[in-house]
Amino acid sequence: MITTEEALTIATEFAENWLWTTETARPEQNRLDITLTTPDDLIPIVVGLRVKRLGYLSAISGLDLGAEVDEFELLYHFCIAAAVITLRLRIPRKNGSVQSLCEIIPSAEAFEREISEMFGVTVIGLRNPEHLYLPDDWAEDQYPLRKDFDPAVIRSST
Amino acid sequence: MEEQQEVEQFMVPIGPQHPALKEPGHFLITVDGEIVTNAVVRLGYAHRGIEKATEERNWVRNLYLLERICGICSHIHATAYCLGLERLAEVEAPPRAQAIRVLVAELERIHSHMLWLGVAAHEAGFDSLFMYSWRDRETVMDLLENLTGNRVNYSANVLGGVKCDIDIVQADTIFMALEFLQERTRHYLDVVTSDAMFLQRTRGIGVMTRLQAEVLGVVGPTARASGVHRDIRAEAPYSAYPSYPVRVVCEEKGDLEARFVVRINELFESYRIIRLILEDLPPGELREKMPRRIREGETVSRVEAPRGELFYFIKSNGTDKPERIKVRTPTICNMMSVVKLAIGHQLADVPMILAGIDPCFSCNDRMIILERSHAKQEVWSWERLRQHGIEYYHGNHS
Repeated sequence: MITTEEALTIATEFAENWLWTTETARPEQNRLDITLTTPDDLIPIVVGLRVKRLGYLSAISGLDLGAEVDEFELLYHFCIAAAVITLRLRIPRKNGSVQSLCEIIPSAEAFEREISEMFGVTVIGLRNPEHLYLPDDWAEDQYPLRKDFDPAVIRSST
Repeated sequence: MEEQQEVEQFMVPIGPQHPALKEPGHFLITVDGEIVTNAVVRLGYAHRGIEKATEERNWVRNLYLLERICGICSHIHATAYCLGLERLAEVEAPPRAQAIRVLVAELERIHSHMLWLGVAAHEAGFDSLFMYSWRDRETVMDLLENLTGNRVNYSANVLGGVKCDIDIVQADTIFMALEFLQERTRHYLDVVTSDAMFLQRTRGIGVMTRLQAEVLGVVGPTARASGVHRDIRAEAPYSAYPSYPVRVVCEEKGDLEARFVVRINELFESYRIIRLILEDLPPGELREKMPRRIREGETVSRVEAPRGELFYFIKSNGTDKPERIKVRTPTICNMMSVVKLAIGHQLADVPMILAGIDPCFSCNDRMIILERSHAKQEVWSWERLRQHGIEYYHGNHS
């Protein structure tokens, strides 16, 4: 079994020798953040993590950075032992899109469908892009986890 | 001819409502005769928008909100949240508090696994096992009530520690209860591995190989029954687990029987850990003071819920309210395996395969059989599907 520290060392080395520039940071002892500069990097770097057997996809967190920055940040958390390796990716708030990981990691489907319906991010290549959690008749342009979402919208419609 | 065959494909919608189980979910199952050829899952009937709601409440109020995500594993949600937040605030709960957290978490695991044993036995038509295991589960519920004052949402955690202490009398009560439970658990292990009728429903059913388990991303006992050594308590020990190391319980076969054996063996492991804690409970305070505002930052908190890895991502913006809290529960990881595992199995096995992952949802009320060529419609209750499963097997082997 690979230890937490070994995993983090291999991952850091891997990210820092990546074809394009990536930034790495260690926000906590057991965490490594890899900031991707372009969404195109996502698939190759995920394949790289898989080839190096650096953990499994534990979750995808979406963050709305607010109207000022006008961007979303997607966090792909890969876990191995106590290590959490996070790929951080920023995409524009308007018409933002990202490639689906389902071809590489089938279990990403549920996480991606959640991101897609909660933030209004288009996930390209999702086999079943329908709602997973929200009702079928949910208003098309309402995305509940955006910071500017007004919960009064649901109250008025029900 | 070919066209007609396509027309006679059966789509079986199951769910979303059923009063006997905890949460609602919907499955659309395509069958060819008795064999399942495809399955699709639809969730969200119990989606309450809790992640969004946390952004409008302060850190203290969120503890009570997050504890109510689940009615079975409420304590572990609060623990994940508290541990993450304490790390952000650079506050460490005292050792005695950490030990009590683990103690309650293990008691919760016992009650959750016994609840599951009953539900799964019921789905297999083995109602006496269901009744006995639920009767014995009351022992744990009484212990939890005795310790914390509550049967379900124990509220044992507060930010910075726990709110309930444990005295010698309570410890003795727990020791005695564990003696009783240990004996009962041995009996259950014997029953699920030797009862011929029951084994027909579990042995070789819903097999998930180790590779499949890894690809499907399953967690918890479902993964461990397929030989995947994945247990956060051992991989990334949190709270007091470094002082009370957990042995990971694994099985290799990956069928329903293995899932029974893993969960029952985990009960023994929980009894062992609780005894260790009670024999060696560190003295001291129960809580540290927590600031009302949490410094800016992010953290990831992972804990082992009864159903597997529970993942919290917490982001603070320096105020008394969170910027974002992301919760990823174990069932969502395991749910996708059900739709894959069901393919190729008898329709009669679907209730058991679903119960096998211990879904923290799963309520299937009625099913509609649509035979498109004749436009005939028939509604089956979950009860009838379950009965169909029982009769199917009974008829074949009696």
